[in-house]
Order: sequence, then C-alpha cells, then structure tokens
Amino acid sequence: MIKMTNIVKRFGEQTVLADITFETYTKEIFGLLGPSGAGKTTIINILTNQLSADEGTHSIDATPFETGLMLDEDGLYVRLNCLENLNIFAGIYGISHKKSMEALKRVGLESDAKKAVNTLSRGMRQRLAIARAILHEPKVLFLDEPTSGLDPVTARGIHKLILNLRENGATVFLTTHNMDEAVKICDRVALLHKGKIVEQGIPTEICHRHNAVKTVPDLEAVFIKMTGVGLE
Amino acid sequence: MRSAKAIFIKQLQDTFKNRLILIQLIIFPMMAFIMTELVAKVDETIPNSIFVTMFAAMFVGMTPLVMTNSAIAEDREHKSLRFLVMAGVKPYEYLLGIGGFIVLFCSFVSLVFGLIGGFTGVVFVKFVSVLVLGSVASTLLGAIIGILSKNQQAAAALGMPIAMLLAFAPMIANFNNTIEKIADIFYTQQVNVLVNDSSASVTRPFFIIVLNIIVLLILFTLAYKKKGLKS
Repeated sequence: MIKMTNIVKRFGEQTVLADITFETYTKEIFGLLGPSGAGKTTIINILTNQLSADEGTHSIDATPFETGLMLDEDGLYVRLNCLENLNIFAGIYGISHKKSMEALKRVGLESDAKKAVNTLSRGMRQRLAIARAILHEPKVLFLDEPTSGLDPVTARGIHKLILNLRENGATVFLTTHNMDEAVKICDRVALLHKGKIVEQGIPTEICHRHNAVKTVPDLEAVFIKMTGVGLE
Repeated sequence: MRSAKAIFIKQLQDTFKNRLILIQLIIFPMMAFIMTELVAKVDETIPNSIFVTMFAAMFVGMTPLVMTNSAIAEDREHKSLRFLVMAGVKPYEYLLGIGGFIVLFCSFVSLVFGLIGGFTGVVFVKFVSVLVLGSVASTLLGAIIGILSKNQQAAAALGMPIAMLLAFAPMIANFNNTIEKIADIFYTQQVNVLVNDSSASVTRPFFIIVLNIIVLLILFTLAYKKKGLKS
C-alpha cells in the first residue's frame, strides 16, 4: 500500500533519513514512532511528494484524491467556520456538502459547525483537521501526531475514530512519540531514531522480542534499550 | 474548474470576514462619495466627477494588488495552500479562483464609482471598462508579489510601496514633466488619463494598458516557474 525503499534525505551536510525501508499493508494502522527530530514528518513529506528524497524509491497505492492528510500545521482558514472550511474541500473533491456535516459528526463537532476556527480550542482544531482529512473517505490517511498536546479524553476519542476508519477500510499511517498510543491502536510500528529505523513489526511481538513485557507490553523500554534515550 | 469555483467561494466568504480587506474595498468609493457630495456638488468651480476619477484611479492601483498579494501570502504562511495542492488543486485553478473573485469584486466597485460619478451611456461603459482592465493588471501584479513573498509581512512590505507608487504616480505626474514621462508607461497613468478625460483618444492608453497586462503575465509566469506555490 505504502512502500519506502532505501530512502536517504539530506539537508545540506546533515543526513536526516538514512536507508529507510518499510512497507504498510492495506487496512492497517501503521505507526512511525520516535522522539521529536527523529525524521517522522520528513518521511510524511516525502511520501506525500512535498519533499523529494535524495536516494531510494517510494510509492503509494492511491491517487491524491484518495489520500487524506493531517499535518502538524493544520492550514485551516481561521476566519471561516468549521462547515465552510470543510465545504471548500467538498467543492474541490466534487462531493456533496452533506458530507461535510457527516465528517463533523464523526469527530464530534456537529454542534460547533458554525463556530469560526479562530474561536476553537486546540483539540477542536485537531478534530476539525481530521474531519477535513476523512471528508472524502480516503483509501490512505496520513496523520502527523494526531493526539499531540491533547487531553486524555479527547485523545481517546481520536483513537476510537482512527480505529473506526481502519474498520471502514482505510489504511492509516500515523506518527507519534506516544508509545502507549502505538501499542493501543497500531497494527504494526517502526521505531525511528536519528533518521534510522531501529526496529519494526507488531508492537507486542517487538516487546516480547526485547523482553519488555511486564504487565503490559512496554514499547518505550524497547526504544530505550535500542537507542539509549527516552522519548521525552 | 470545480476547484477554481471552490476557491472563488472561499475567497468570497473570507473577504466578508476580513475587516482589513473590507476597509480597503470600501474606503475609496466611500471617500469619493463623501467628497463629491460635500465638496464637488457644493463648489461650482469643481467638476462633479473630479473626486470619483481621482479615487477610482487610486483604487485600481492599490486595492486589487493588496488583496491578491495578501490572500496568496496568507495561504502560504498558514500552510492552507499546502492542503489545497495536496487535494489536487492545480496552480492555475487556485490563481483563477483568487484572481477571478478579486477582479469580479473590483468590477462591482467600479460600477459603484461610475454611479457615484453620475456617468451615463458610452461614458459609463468606457469608465467601468477601463477600471476593470486596470484591476486585471493590478491583480496580476499582486499575484507576482504574493508568489515572491515568504509571508504576509514580506508581501505587505513589498506590495504597499509598489501599490502607493502606482496609485499616486499619476497625481504627482501632474506637477512634474519627468515623472509624467516615466509614469506614462504604467497602466495606472493610462487609467488616470482615460477616466479623467472622456474625450481622450482611447487607442494609445488602451494599447499601453494591454501591453502592461502582457508584460505582467510574462513576469507572473517567470515568478511562478521560479517559486511556484509550494509553502
């Protein structure tokens, strides 16, 4: 579905991605885990053709119209309300404006449809950005740190939504530095450190492989064992 | 074309919620109306349409330029443009949506100027047509500045002096021959000539305005090839 082979990316003298290789399967949630600066967003930017790689190849089995995107900067039109923001994209995708309201319902923002974006809380903006990403029911969904900075209740709501999207047939590629989140919702993960993938596979299997299961699988312990550093 | 239409609607909704841009749109016709009613119509030595033509020429030089460059620069700065491009919006569709709305809206304001000036018949049509042509040129120049600017602050820093130079050059040209000769090649000077003198020959000013539009289109293409629309 999504494939990266031997990707190398340099910014000047600095190599930010070194020999990145992974593959995701259809209808799975694939998590890319690592601390800030590990190269997670750079990988999304390369996959979505916003950046070009210096070496290697990558492919996605979906057209731009079949791809949804939520990035660290939401790019929402701050003076417009939630519904107007989604209607712009409904117009671009050529789908009914009814879908905008449906997408708002899915993220729990239907009662805030007429609120201007610049009056929303951070969590609400994140949910609106997700609503825009899922508006056209994409085959592939990129979510860059979807729960970063959110309270646990809102984060849980977003987890439910992501799991629901997978149930409906979407492939979700998400980045996070929250190991618990990865264990809870990801089918497979890749651990990224300083631009290199140090481990990848099914979260519980990775934890068992590295004897990092006490009461629950502990991916953070694996990460510290592999890299010598924590995530925060 | 559906993407251009969606962006046109976005620009329409956003313009009515953007106070700074609304002020830009309203201030020139409002000043023209107030000055015409309070000064020109009271003082018989002043032609009735003098303030209308003066503010209309300033409007054409400044408003479409500032509106376009700030819209593009804001979309780049807030990364909104990134999402449009990722959704498959082509650059020409984006620019058609933004520029199309601004030219149409400025055309509407040009009609208001024509009504305030009390023009009728052929003179009215000529007056409005010249303002619309001038708006097209200003919109193109605004798009060039928007593309070349990293953010809104840079767009304003570059756009405002250029807009003021173009808007006020025809006025300064009245007092200085050298400036008049230089200003002669700019579309704002020709707009000023045509709106101020309804009996003036149309051919030369019209030719210069069209030439300006062609040159700006070429410059726009070069700027776009160099910088594109990527954030």
